[in-house]
Amino acid sequence: MSFPSEISSGAAPAAVPPRRHRREPSGDRWFRWATLLPAVIVLVVLTVWPVANLLRMAVSTIEFTRDGASFAFTPAENLRRLAGDDLFFINLRTTVIFVVVSVILEMVLGFLLALMVSGVPRGKGLVRTLMILPILVPPVAIGSMWKLVYNHDFGILNQALGVVGLGPVGWLSNPDLALWSVVLVDVWHWTPFVFLILFAGIEGLPREVIEAARVDGATTWQIVRRIVLPLMAPAIAVAFIFRAILAFKVFDQIFLLTSGGPGTATEVVSLRLYRVFFDQNELGYGALLSVVIILAVVAFLLTAGALARRVGR
Amino acid sequence: MIIHATRRAHLAGTALAVILAGVPALAQDSFLDVGEQEPITILINSSPWYGGFESVVALYEEQTGNLVELDATPYNGVLEKARNAVRTAESPYDILNIDSGWTIEFYESDVLRPLGEIVEGYTLPEEVYTCGDSYFWNEEKQYRTSEGGTLMAVPPNCNVHVLVYRTDLVETPPATYDDLLAQCQAIQSPPEVYGFATRGERGNGIHYDFMPFLLSYGGRIVADPASGDYTVTINSPEALTALERFIEVEHGCAPANVGAMGQGDVIQLMAAGNAAMVETVVAAWANYVDPTKSAVVDTVAAAPMPEGPGGRGVAIGNWHFAVPRNIPDERAQAAMAFMQWFLTEGAQTAYAEAGGIPVRRDVIETLGQQPGYEWMAAYQTNLEAGVHPLGFSEGAAVEQVMGLRLNQALVGELSPAAALNSAAREIQEIFAQSGRQTGSLDPLPE
Repeated sequence: MSFPSEISSGAAPAAVPPRRHRREPSGDRWFRWATLLPAVIVLVVLTVWPVANLLRMAVSTIEFTRDGASFAFTPAENLRRLAGDDLFFINLRTTVIFVVVSVILEMVLGFLLALMVSGVPRGKGLVRTLMILPILVPPVAIGSMWKLVYNHDFGILNQALGVVGLGPVGWLSNPDLALWSVVLVDVWHWTPFVFLILFAGIEGLPREVIEAARVDGATTWQIVRRIVLPLMAPAIAVAFIFRAILAFKVFDQIFLLTSGGPGTATEVVSLRLYRVFFDQNELGYGALLSVVIILAVVAFLLTAGALARRVGR
Repeated sequence: MIIHATRRAHLAGTALAVILAGVPALAQDSFLDVGEQEPITILINSSPWYGGFESVVALYEEQTGNLVELDATPYNGVLEKARNAVRTAESPYDILNIDSGWTIEFYESDVLRPLGEIVEGYTLPEEVYTCGDSYFWNEEKQYRTSEGGTLMAVPPNCNVHVLVYRTDLVETPPATYDDLLAQCQAIQSPPEVYGFATRGERGNGIHYDFMPFLLSYGGRIVADPASGDYTVTINSPEALTALERFIEVEHGCAPANVGAMGQGDVIQLMAAGNAAMVETVVAAWANYVDPTKSAVVDTVAAAPMPEGPGGRGVAIGNWHFAVPRNIPDERAQAAMAFMQWFLTEGAQTAYAEAGGIPVRRDVIETLGQQPGYEWMAAYQTNLEAGVHPLGFSEGAAVEQVMGLRLNQALVGELSPAAALNSAAREIQEIFAQSGRQTGSLDPLPE
């Protein structure tokens, strides 16, 4: 370990002039606090209070009566239930598989598409507009549309397979296939989002660096590997974090396509949360599951960040 | 969307009024004169029987001059709207239509007004079916029963299963589940015609549609909840036989995607002419006889559910008209006036003629004799055999467990025995948490 030269050499540090404490007029101090107050109130109302309330719910059993909601403090009971809730841990595993596979596919496809479109000499704007259309489709329409595509009897996929003498395939009813079918829908829906962020990043890269590399004889792969990817790291990180968080929260498309079935094949944590909160009306235990999910998302992002830093080094 | 009865419904209501006026027995006398009442708003599900209800509401407005607003809501949104209504200072709704599985949450939390409090001493007319007693709540037993129970709601319908079949493909409807299996396998010719189908999707769908099998094979989820014995019996040998037969029928005669099939899929299969037999709720009947929706209008018929070694098993899955506590008394009186009118012979006849499912014995018997209403005999037979398997306050949680484990058995994630053992363990845990007197059978060999 090395130390700064001034300290290791034992030299006296340069004299620092004594700080003069000027007494601030109390009116200024009050004004400063008063101007901060709206931001503090917004923070408390929109963030601190909901989180505190969620934590309070998570350690309670909540019942509604004609006199309103009643909270009973039952942390041990809720935690004991969580520890024995095998289904929740199956849901968590399914969610992690869904997030890892769909986000990786979206990142790779989005990056490749961004590279391809950036090389198009004309009409980039039109291509970009066409590419982002899937993001604009409402989730309910996506669910209905893909449910028809996957329909066992008259869906276009099984019709096409039928033409070549194959199928029909239970895209949403076969437990081995259902998760991959919903991953495909997610990839179709969200790859354009990744594309949009990465395309903006690629368009902002310094051209002279890439041209200099080309003049020096670098291949396309070397340019991508050694120049584009490192320079794009911030944009890739932003796209990854956004997508990972959203993928963890996936609900609508799975609810509409499979409702979590068949069996537990596509039941992600958001669906379980919905069942606990709204079907079973167990708000306390549902809040505890929400806290666990928040912690799981944070842990996932920290792990992914650490892995990315290791790969970067 | 809050709407008054639509113009079409008003026309239908007027037409009904004209027709009924021409039939002496069903003229104005068989309706109730409710006098002038406050306008009311009803939260109602947009289910297959909604059209019939909308027409009868139009008839009520026509006859009485009282206004009724309908908030027709898709099934998935009804529960949250009802919950929010009873948790606010004043409910926007005067009548809440609540599904059978949700009622106990509302009964327990005391947010509904007992009907005998609104109209002193009110009881259901004796001709009205009590549909497995789900309209009564016994606070002490925490159980839905008319014995010592308070009347909390009235029936807009008593939904039960019927066996719907094609007369051109099925000569005699099956009397037993053995017959059902033999007949459906003989007819099976996919993808043109499937022998039999019922819901296999996870959740309420598979749970409710498996119940006729379970009950008719002598299986029960719980030993005797009415007497307070909550011993879990879903992993009995009878339940295992029922589940194995259910899976055998579904795998042998239904489409390969049966594990994901919901009510809409099953109805569509029959209406499109791609099924020889289906097990659906009677409320779906209108879909089969509507020429704009069905290709089997002239060949469709209904039969009672087949019997098993334990007799005929039918589960009731009905709706409940209830009055929230948090409305002023004059609105509660207006709600009661509508509900009393709705249960009269005249209104029930009009309701049935507009495609609704009547709940009065006399109306079912009279109309059942007439051409076009032959299905009512099957409905009545099943209704009289009907029970509520989940009449206790843990019903919603138990249904979640059953809906998952049955679906896992159907799609092959678990063996039938493992599915029932898992369900038994989890249901026992639910009852133990509620402090019930519970226990379970020895696990089935897996």
